[in-house]
Amino acid sequence: MSAIRFRVLPRAFPQSLNESQKRSREKWLTIAFLVAPGMAIFLIFLLLPIFQSGYYSLFKWNGFGFPKDFRGIDNYLDLAKDKVFLGSIAHSFTIMSLSLLVQLPLALALALLVGRGSLPGRQIFRAILFVPYIFSEVITALIWLYVLHPNSGLMNKTLGVFVQDFKPITWLGDRNIALIAIFMVLTWKFFGFHMILYMAGLQSIPKDLEEAGRIDGCNEMQVLRFITLPLMGSTIRLTIFLSVLGSFQQFTLVWIMTQGGPVDSTATIATFLFKYGIQRFALGFGSAVAVILFLLTLVFSIGYQRMVMRQDYELRV
Amino acid sequence: MASVSFRNVWKKYAGDVVAVRELNIEVADKEFLVLVGPSGCGKSTSLRMLAGLEEISEGEILIGDRVVNNVAPKDRDIAMVFQSYALYPHMTVYENMAFGLRLRKTPKQVIDQRVREVGKSLGIEQLLDRKPRQLSGGQRQRVAVGRAIVREPAVFLMDEPLSNLDAKLRVEARAFISKLHQRLGTTFIYVTHDQVEAMTMGTRIAVMSAGELQQIDTPQNLYDNPVNIFVAGFIGSPSMNFFDNCRLLEEGGKLFVDARIFRLPVPQKRYEKYRPHVGSDVVLGIRPENIHDSHFTPPGIEPASIEANVDVVEQMGHEKVIYLEESGKTFIARLDPRTTAVVGQRIPIVIDLASMHLFDKKTEKALE
Repeated sequence: MSAIRFRVLPRAFPQSLNESQKRSREKWLTIAFLVAPGMAIFLIFLLLPIFQSGYYSLFKWNGFGFPKDFRGIDNYLDLAKDKVFLGSIAHSFTIMSLSLLVQLPLALALALLVGRGSLPGRQIFRAILFVPYIFSEVITALIWLYVLHPNSGLMNKTLGVFVQDFKPITWLGDRNIALIAIFMVLTWKFFGFHMILYMAGLQSIPKDLEEAGRIDGCNEMQVLRFITLPLMGSTIRLTIFLSVLGSFQQFTLVWIMTQGGPVDSTATIATFLFKYGIQRFALGFGSAVAVILFLLTLVFSIGYQRMVMRQDYELRV
Repeated sequence: MASVSFRNVWKKYAGDVVAVRELNIEVADKEFLVLVGPSGCGKSTSLRMLAGLEEISEGEILIGDRVVNNVAPKDRDIAMVFQSYALYPHMTVYENMAFGLRLRKTPKQVIDQRVREVGKSLGIEQLLDRKPRQLSGGQRQRVAVGRAIVREPAVFLMDEPLSNLDAKLRVEARAFISKLHQRLGTTFIYVTHDQVEAMTMGTRIAVMSAGELQQIDTPQNLYDNPVNIFVAGFIGSPSMNFFDNCRLLEEGGKLFVDARIFRLPVPQKRYEKYRPHVGSDVVLGIRPENIHDSHFTPPGIEPASIEANVDVVEQMGHEKVIYLEESGKTFIARLDPRTTAVVGQRIPIVIDLASMHLFDKKTEKALE
């Protein structure tokens, strides 16, 4: 018996190892074959430009020919002293903060109102509230340019009806309120998107849980606070993530409505980059702005996902 | 501790859909009432109206002496165990159980003491720090019960709390809930579609169908004296055999049921009761357990012998469930396990006449 065992085992073992190695190799070849096209696009159009930007940011370069005038970190040092750039970062942060404090709570409140419950005509409201998100940013900007026009705009006309001795406001021409006006438009445009996400989150909460809360002793506010909102945590964390990234990257709406003005009072990092990097043929300088924007969003993305969204990736039952 | 009353309670939805029709039930204090019926019969809706989770369209619901129609669920002094258990997934077992007490601003030490006491009594004290997703089905069920009892409510409501358990656990959980009722001495109202749960747990059972209460009685009375064909068919497993197209006849001072495929004498005891119905069309009901192998007839029955063909034999160990066929009519018998009946054989069987049920064919009500 022992003889048989010795004869069989040494032969069978390497055979099965070979087979499993072969299978594993085939598996990896298949994966490589399927991933290759996507990976190539990712490398050529995403990763390479990022490194190129990093490289260009070390030169004074107008975009023509090859960059030759190496300046080290001068572009970054210039940026650190540039008040307009620092202001644009501050504006981006302002938009971000207002989004988190105003836009998201508004979207959540509306989602709670029209996402469920017995509000008559809530499906119509839901559709209407989502419409702004369907418009492109260009269309939105153009609509609001009309609405906020100081003389003939709907906003001033409406306020004129309700407010006595109303003096027309130059919404986009006044340094002190242009950013708020821009934020108002951003909210109009994007709250529907967050509202839809919240509604999806709400629908995933079993009705039983809220009912159990009511029986356990909650009033409606307590159901919201102790059950609904904690269970929407993953959706809320996701919308915060998207909102912060969106605020940092905001360009189109601001550019069409104010081009960052008046006197750079609505400049965001992206409009600053376009205005002072691309339009003025300072591509090395612009690349430095791009690198900073990239690092800001990258650090936030990784940090936020690691620290805040980690729990949402865990298996949930 | 409290009684519960449903008084002429209706639940109507938009479009004239009636979910519950004129429900009248009086549940005594400390009673274990089971609401049983098939899906869509209105039992869960009735329980949810009692819990305050559904509005009452008409009528009154009282807990104790108080009409609770317009009282918020939190102020009804009830606790409910849901079919899904509805444990808060973001809270630990401890927090789940403490939640209700915390909302009532119970002192922390009291909460801690109560949660640990209840946890221990339910055998879940080692799970208090876990989240619901880390628990098995049976453990979740216990936590859900624990969350309900920790608050010491006046009435316990249970909405199919065992449906998500496997068969073995369900048997254990049945005994566990029955014991719990004995120990707590609180009013329990329990909804299920499973007549076995109803029979084994309830001190009284309310059978519902199509939004209407069919009969409310003790399990034994429901089994022995069903008021209509629905209740007769619903209570008991396998279901009662019904022989349609029967006629009640009188010959020589005796009553007979002519079922066409056989003819059975009616016990003399019921002569007076059934005599007014002579000549009318009736439905004969015989439970599978009242049909016996002629070789293993138990003592004390009123036997009537017939013959039938064996269609299917299901071996259960403690008995054999036999599908019998006679002139195209199939019926079921639960026979002694020693029976030698095999498929295709024609066997003599004995029907216990004392256990026969007769129903009016038109009204489907038991003959009075």
